[in-house]
Amino acid sequence: MGDERLADLAHLMRRAGFGASKEEIEEYAKLGYDAVVDMLVEPESVPDIDVDILERYYFGELFKIRVGEWFYRMLNSRRQLQEKMALFWHHVFATGLAKNEHMLSAANQIATFRRVGLSNLDEILNELSRDPAMIFWLDNNENRKGEPNENYGRELLELFSMGVGNYTEQDIKMASRAFTGWTFTQPIPLYPHGYYPAHFIKREDDHDSGDKTFLGSSGNFDGEDIISIIIQQPATAVFISRHLYNFFVADEPQVPAWPIDPPQDPEAIRTLVASYFASGGEMREVMRTLFKSDFFKQARFAKVKSPTELVMGVLKLVGTYRSLDPDLMKYADVTALMGQELLNPPTVEGWHTGREWIDGGTMNERVNFAVDEVSDPSKPGIRETVDRIEADAPVSPDGMVDRCLELAGRLEVGEDTRAALRAHAEVGGDFDFASDEGRERAEERVVSLMRLIVSTTEYQFA
Amino acid sequence: MARPYGLLRAGFPFHKTLGMRRLTNFPIDVAVGREGRVYILCRQESSAAMVRKYTIEDEDLGEISKPGEGEGEMKWPVCIVADSEENLYISDEAMHRVISYDTEGEHRGTWGEHGSDPGQLDRPAGIAFDAEENVYVADAMNHRIQKFTKDGQYMTGWGTHGCAPGEFDMPYGVAVDDEGFVYVADWRNDRIQKFTADGEFVFECGSSGSGNGELNRPSGIDVDEHGDIYVADWRNNRVQLFNHEGRYVQKFLGDATLSKASREYMLTNASPNRMRDMADLEPQKYLRRPKSVAVDENGLMFIADNGSYRVQVYRKEAIPLTPQELAAPRRSPSLQQE
Repeated sequence: MGDERLADLAHLMRRAGFGASKEEIEEYAKLGYDAVVDMLVEPESVPDIDVDILERYYFGELFKIRVGEWFYRMLNSRRQLQEKMALFWHHVFATGLAKNEHMLSAANQIATFRRVGLSNLDEILNELSRDPAMIFWLDNNENRKGEPNENYGRELLELFSMGVGNYTEQDIKMASRAFTGWTFTQPIPLYPHGYYPAHFIKREDDHDSGDKTFLGSSGNFDGEDIISIIIQQPATAVFISRHLYNFFVADEPQVPAWPIDPPQDPEAIRTLVASYFASGGEMREVMRTLFKSDFFKQARFAKVKSPTELVMGVLKLVGTYRSLDPDLMKYADVTALMGQELLNPPTVEGWHTGREWIDGGTMNERVNFAVDEVSDPSKPGIRETVDRIEADAPVSPDGMVDRCLELAGRLEVGEDTRAALRAHAEVGGDFDFASDEGRERAEERVVSLMRLIVSTTEYQFA
Repeated sequence: MARPYGLLRAGFPFHKTLGMRRLTNFPIDVAVGREGRVYILCRQESSAAMVRKYTIEDEDLGEISKPGEGEGEMKWPVCIVADSEENLYISDEAMHRVISYDTEGEHRGTWGEHGSDPGQLDRPAGIAFDAEENVYVADAMNHRIQKFTKDGQYMTGWGTHGCAPGEFDMPYGVAVDDEGFVYVADWRNDRIQKFTADGEFVFECGSSGSGNGELNRPSGIDVDEHGDIYVADWRNNRVQLFNHEGRYVQKFLGDATLSKASREYMLTNASPNRMRDMADLEPQKYLRRPKSVAVDENGLMFIADNGSYRVQVYRKEAIPLTPQELAAPRRSPSLQQE
């Protein structure tokens, strides 16, 4: 089986999911790359995660429980792209607990992204506009007939669909008027008996039903009409395509720079835009196009892993948390220390991505975390790594480097890194598992090499 | 105690609410002690398991907080029972063991180890004492019931994974009646199974669904002195009552009022009072994902209202009937009035 094919699949699973083990990659290879893409973009074609078990063991509306549940899905759901799309939309439609303080609504928003994340952009924006967490986050509950609050109308255009420079202030005012009265029912407050759900309602008595002119069209527009107009705009297709490119293909500048800095691969954006219009805004089809494109396949390790991608990738590598365990919840703090507190992005702009994930502090956290995780030879993934290598023993130091890189997700490293890894592996000669003592020593050396691998600069990239 | 010939079911009114958020976070089970003491087992995030002590008069007696993985600590507690001396026994499905404390929280012992051999445990859930204070354990991921002495010596066990009589799919609750029969909430099979003390199948009741007598992932279970069977019908957000033959009698959807602690809290918090004033308050009385139910000898029924951070208490009003007071069973319904 060609290494390139396996490398493509490993790349695909890092981007469309949260990584995959060597065995999983080999299983996917039997299907073929395109079939795996089709499976990913049609998640209903594979069994869902066992929600029964998830709910039996992870219950309660507390931050760590809900994030822990999401982590469990990221690690164990066969519908990997569903979880990745939920994370993507969470980046784009950033909504934070720091203001909302309503854990149930935050969790419900992620569930909505999971449910509709691969559907039509029209449906996605409609769901978003009816989402109580988003409504409160951007003050649409204060957007009243005769007293418009323009916060949601502005961000819908600026950050959620078209991008700066593609609409006027007047368009913002009109969009805001169209969303007047889109609010939610007052939930029973948290104390004394916990969160109760907020439900979307459209208050007709608070809705501005007057005529509006928006992006050159005039009419008695409601929120749905505004979204219908937005999704037909070329600027929307470009903006969403650039977001997809930045999240799934290669790091772009931060969103505020987009009106100034053109896309690094304009042809790729054109391809995605064409798919968007050909499919009528179906995200499933746009994602199919993206993953099957040459520009995607050529973008291996062109993105800095987000903290969530790094942590989930390492946990997949070491093979832990394949069944429900309360300790999984602790990783909510781990990603937060690396700069990504899920359900609580810093601003409506979301997290700054790419190299902005990295500074002196977060780099320390990332490396220390990864090294700690791979240091325990009893963890299933490390155990399996050692066993696989033992099956080929004796193995030369150079061969050992190759095998460990392969088991670390077919990681590709530069010559300097490879030389350093080789030099480390050469201390002690061949890896010989023939005796108990030799096996113990070889195991220590494998773990040591894995610690070095997850410390490399290359490992920070997906 | 012999079963009454029949019961005049006079009513089952709501009695009171115990606890609130912060005091009784995610109550997962309730044990009834002596002299009106109640022990509410709470399970929060990974490291915040605790037992909150109350009186039935809503007096807070403090807590036993022992989160962790150490010998005397609990991590993912599921079930709590009190023995005749009011020592507390708690199953822990993360640590695959049973731990015991006295009423002040002094650690008395821990037993159980992870595995699938006889005597080993994989995610133990419900536990219950028989009259000799041997302990039955619902060994969830081994899909079986095991019986131990109080200090953890393995005695017997039965069951395998499946849906036939005597088989289980992730059993959750277990209860023993005063005649020694064992009742199991067979969680993923949506049914209740009754066995002799040695595991001989007696009957089953319940099937998947949300109608009367149907179950959706039954969790906790208990049996009272009349042989009435109480089931926490977890995903249907209710408790159901079956008679001693397994016939559906009635359901409890929740009637909660604010507990004493809740009222005191709300009286010092103007903003949430305003939000309550704006909200539809109908849902606040309902059970949300009740995890367990426990009944005491006085007819009080305690429901661990897991999703609402509280315990709802009902009081049974039933009068035993003699054959003179209850006519012979009929095979058919009748419209005749006498």
